[in-house]
Amino acid sequence: MTVSSQYAKPLPGESPESKPYWEAARRHELVFQSCGSCGRKIHFPRVVCPGCLSRNLQWRKALGIGSVYSYTIIYRQGVHPGFASDIPYVYAIIELEEGVRMISNVINVDPLKVTIGMKVNVVFDDVTDKVSIPKFEPLQGKGLDKKASCQL
Amino acid sequence: MSIRGKTAIIGYGETEFAKARDSENRSNHTEQCHAAILAIEDAGIRKEDIDGLIALPPLGQTPSWGMDMAEYLQLQPRFIDNLYHGGAAGAAAILYSAAAINAGLCHTVLLVGGSAMKPGRIFPYDAQAVIPFVHDFDSIYGSMLDNSAYALIKQRYKHEFGVGEEPFAQVVVNARYHASKFPNALLKTPVSRQAVIDSPMICDPLRMFEIVMPCSGAAAVVLTSAEAAGRSNNPPVYLLGGGQSIDRGMWNPAYGRNPSLTTSPIKKSAAQAFAMAGLTIADMDFVQLYDCYTITVIIALEDIGCCEKGQGAKFVENANLTHQGELPVNTDGGQLGRGQPMGACHFLSTVEAARQLMGRAGALQVEGARFGLVNGNGGSMANECTLIFGNQIP
Ligand SMILES: [Zn+2]
Repeated sequence: MTVSSQYAKPLPGESPESKPYWEAARRHELVFQSCGSCGRKIHFPRVVCPGCLSRNLQWRKALGIGSVYSYTIIYRQGVHPGFASDIPYVYAIIELEEGVRMISNVINVDPLKVTIGMKVNVVFDDVTDKVSIPKFEPLQGKGLDKKASCQL
Repeated sequence: MSIRGKTAIIGYGETEFAKARDSENRSNHTEQCHAAILAIEDAGIRKEDIDGLIALPPLGQTPSWGMDMAEYLQLQPRFIDNLYHGGAAGAAAILYSAAAINAGLCHTVLLVGGSAMKPGRIFPYDAQAVIPFVHDFDSIYGSMLDNSAYALIKQRYKHEFGVGEEPFAQVVVNARYHASKFPNALLKTPVSRQAVIDSPMICDPLRMFEIVMPCSGAAAVVLTSAEAAGRSNNPPVYLLGGGQSIDRGMWNPAYGRNPSLTTSPIKKSAAQAFAMAGLTIADMDFVQLYDCYTITVIIALEDIGCCEKGQGAKFVENANLTHQGELPVNTDGGQLGRGQPMGACHFLSTVEAARQLMGRAGALQVEGARFGLVNGNGGSMANECTLIFGNQIP
């Protein structure tokens, strides 16, 4: 685990509506919102459903499995200088089995081996003692909680 | 109450572009003021004739930019704005100005955009990080902003349609060809497809030559009523149609309303613009597309109706897209050829359209050009604004 003061990248937690998301991530659970009115699955967290504008949203736990929808391998320093030491790294859109898409990194793999459609599972990067960031790695097929998405 | 043919561009100006390292004596204000004066002189109007102002705020500048420019030039507009629509801002500003003129809010609008580059990082991290959900669900993963956003789109496009690198390289070859003949271009050396493919990988699959080079410069246009335009020294360039469509936010293509990375809102904005103009893509003598990256040209060509979805790559390989070809594209070299004077590009596509339709494009003139299309693209193909211009009202 990295010590807080050594983490040189931006930390999440800016938006109040995403608080439950980051609390779940701290427990190593990947969650998303589901609309109680129209059933839409939602990421990033919001106070209203972007489909029907209902406020009736519930948090659900994701299986933590998905696939790479698109990706890029970044070879130059991005906007934030903290990522310079990771170059080259994979910045990707992951589509979860539940259907929501999220920006993340694909890690624990040679970037040149990443492909669109590659199956991945979530892995939590404990970047400080309070913050864990969901990232993805090629599907391991072991040590995963395979039970279906459930209401928290 | 349609705005078709109700307004026209009667003058334009663009400053001499410069690389960041040659921009020591330039500022955002000097650039925009020079462009504004050039456009006012070209239009042959007096300062007092201007009663509308849209000045686009350079990156990181105050949203009160329009008012500050009015003070700098001591204008007294009765219609003012400072749009921030990314690369769609210029086209949108023209569209909204035309509506304002047609509604009687003002008669003559000065529109200006552009900035001065300083060496080093263009985009402060804070610009993106101030939006909490972008910070929390994008920035923390090391986004490269537009580079990574367009890389995601290009990667997905290559996957969905089984396309290689050659068509993307051809877009750059075309841009550099036009730039080699365009007096104000910064990248005047023609390149081969192989040189593009061999250029350094920045953000896989985007290579260096497929990514614009930000530079200093500004552009301005003067838009007035069709009536007043008839009394102008320059041949009026009528706005015949316009449309805008937005389906994502500014920063990445993952979270918008449109689940597809390979279709853009240009389909809607262009359809509206053509319908208003009463014209089709077949009537266009040229198109000026927002080419911040090669992929935007290919998707835009599809979505304005040049070919079916997925055929854009084949289209750029097979069609002659030079000023002498069947569909001239970006006849001033576009951003990939002339450089990307930030904030000015929003208007430069329109400046080039006006230059062509006034018959002032010199070595790059499209013979007998009557109608042309301009498309502005903001965010990662998120905000699209399409305009149709003509030197006659059909
Ligand atoms: Zn809903």
